[in-house]
Amino acid sequence: MNFVNRAFKNVSRKMSKSVLLALTFFLIGNLVIIGLGVSNASESAKILTRQKMRAVVTYQLDNDKIFRYVDSIEDEDEVNKFYENYPRIRLAEITELLADTRVKTANATSTATWFPDANKTLDFVHLNNKAEESMGESGQACYFEDDGTQTCETYIEPTFLVKGNMFPSMIEIEDGDYEIKSGRFYNEQEIKDGALVCLVTENFATTNGLSVGDNIVLATSNLSKYVQQAGVTQEDLESTFEVIGIYAHHTPITPDSPNFDYCSPYENPDNLILMPSTATYMASMPMQQKMWDYNAVNYPENEWDESRRPSLENMEELTYIDKVTLLLNDPLEVEKFVEDHQNTISQFTSLDANNEEFKKLAKPLDTLSMYANFIVWLVVINAIVIISLVTALTLKTREYEIGVLLSIGASKFKVIAQFFLELAIVAVIGFTLSVISGSIIAKRLGNTILEYQIATSDIEEEEDSYYSSYIDIWNSDYTTDITIDDLVSEYEVNISPLIIAEIYIMGLGIVFISVIIPSVMIMRYNPKKILMNTN
Amino acid sequence: MSEILKLENINYSYIDGGYERVILKDLCYTFESGKFYTVLGPSGSGKTTLLSIISGLDTASSGEIYFDGKNVISEIGLHKYRRNEISIVFQQYNLISYLTACENVLLAMSETDNKLPKDKKTVAYNLLERFGIVRSKADRIVTQLSGGEQQRVAIARSLASNVNLIFADEPTGNLDTATEKEIIGIFKELSHDFGKTIIVVTHSDTVSAMSDQRVLLKDGKLTTIAKVEDKGF
Repeated sequence: MNFVNRAFKNVSRKMSKSVLLALTFFLIGNLVIIGLGVSNASESAKILTRQKMRAVVTYQLDNDKIFRYVDSIEDEDEVNKFYENYPRIRLAEITELLADTRVKTANATSTATWFPDANKTLDFVHLNNKAEESMGESGQACYFEDDGTQTCETYIEPTFLVKGNMFPSMIEIEDGDYEIKSGRFYNEQEIKDGALVCLVTENFATTNGLSVGDNIVLATSNLSKYVQQAGVTQEDLESTFEVIGIYAHHTPITPDSPNFDYCSPYENPDNLILMPSTATYMASMPMQQKMWDYNAVNYPENEWDESRRPSLENMEELTYIDKVTLLLNDPLEVEKFVEDHQNTISQFTSLDANNEEFKKLAKPLDTLSMYANFIVWLVVINAIVIISLVTALTLKTREYEIGVLLSIGASKFKVIAQFFLELAIVAVIGFTLSVISGSIIAKRLGNTILEYQIATSDIEEEEDSYYSSYIDIWNSDYTTDITIDDLVSEYEVNISPLIIAEIYIMGLGIVFISVIIPSVMIMRYNPKKILMNTN
Repeated sequence: MSEILKLENINYSYIDGGYERVILKDLCYTFESGKFYTVLGPSGSGKTTLLSIISGLDTASSGEIYFDGKNVISEIGLHKYRRNEISIVFQQYNLISYLTACENVLLAMSETDNKLPKDKKTVAYNLLERFGIVRSKADRIVTQLSGGEQQRVAIARSLASNVNLIFADEPTGNLDTATEKEIIGIFKELSHDFGKTIIVVTHSDTVSAMSDQRVLLKDGKLTTIAKVEDKGF
């Protein structure tokens, strides 16, 4: 008749007490399951949605900080000096961030609209829309001559968009938006050397009969009268690029696409050419140098610092970076990454986890989770108080039993263990029943509360921007747009084995605390006192 | 006969209303094994207190208790002393109410470290049967038994752990005269036939008259008396 046997006999032979206690645990269990179920569903929905979003962190110049700093300077010369050395993001800073193992790649991109060569050996991929039909009739490009007269000429629209990156991969490649079909991406050495290499789209390659290893000629500008007056020739504008890779994209434009008719050739993703950003710099250098020389001669009143003349040596100095987008391995690590590097970045820059929109949308879930957790804690604290009181009253009526057990030599540990076991048996029965009923109630109640939360929240969803369905040409926004529906679709109250384990652990914890307090109060007396109290 | 329990200079007092109340004062006494003792004394003389101290349920303010020559507190330990060396029969029987008679007996057997036969259940049934609790009653919850039957179960439980020293506090206080005689008969049989030492605290002259040795507790001291008439109160 050890303490385990005694516990089972007590539970089975004092049925009404056991049933009442089991009912109490059943009610507690239901409330805790609902609370934990809803809280877990909210947290899971947030995690699953966040995981679907791109893990991008933006490192950029913080214009607010810059303007606040400029405002604080009173000396005008100092302000001018500051503008002359306007803050920029240095390559070394980005390299330092890239050294973090959580970073997959980075985009420090520059885009430019380019032209075919004079002989038009390259054709662009046609959409046959209104924008193409009106090419050549699109108006005049005007500039002022030195003597102040205005000169106009027919505006020639660019046909290609060139996108250069300073790193040997791109977010689009890593995330599968662009898929290399043949050849390869440019490497670090080619970036360093400013090698004239490029990747073209599959459709572009088909249109022009290109394959990896072929050369194409591109012009960085059209030979306008404006550049001609600086001595720029067609040869200065054209460069030959080796096609090192052919890639596919997953954003085709069809006649159903929004604003299809107004899509220019260079806005068509098929006409996007990828190359190292240093290659774009190298290709435009002859024109840039001649323009610099021309301006230095014709506008001597301006300060012309020879060290800033476009050249291979000061390529980095003149490659202005104001924004870098870092792609991390895990979307859940963006905030921690920002937190870890916040104090090491330079003065006028900022790191942004791009989480604000997500946080705004997740607010109803946060509120729901907060309330659910609050309920759980409230129930647990109340449960400890109630069960402790019930146990204290029960043990009071069983003082004589404690006295008898101690008088026959049972250890205090075994006596407490028996009471713990008795309550634990009843608790397990109550909690097991509550797992079944609680999971049903939690599902229904959880969904109803979430619907109510969303209905009462003030969430405004951003509308798609005009360009968002084509190429993000100027903004380089790599964040993933999500809606409240994305979050809600991931919200599902499931009572997982982990929650069930939590319920049992929590329940046994309640039982333990509830037994230990009154037991210790009784056990501090010697057997004689306990027996005298009862006899 | 050899000594089984030796009390040396036992003192016990407590504070009551700001005054020290002395219950036991330099009490010395030696109990021999195999004898049936009754401890007599006027009400409030400290009989139950003495029983609590010598049975290890309470501790004296000072003094030493030796069981089989070993100090109960420093050498055996109160807990082990209660578990392996002694057993107690109470006036209120003090059985566990939700257990059967047999299970109450088994309870004592499960707690002791003393060597016991393997088939404890059979031993429990046999013990109960020896004290008039038949099998059908042995399987009943103890609250369904009469007072006399419950006391028999309590006596069976006290023997179950195979100890040599049994204390009883007014064991017949709640029983009628016929049952009282029957229970005392059992105690006598235990001491004479099985060599157990029985120390019974009682008010009853009937019980006292049937014991081998009567001990009087008066003014905090124990003295052996020859006859019941020598009680002096």
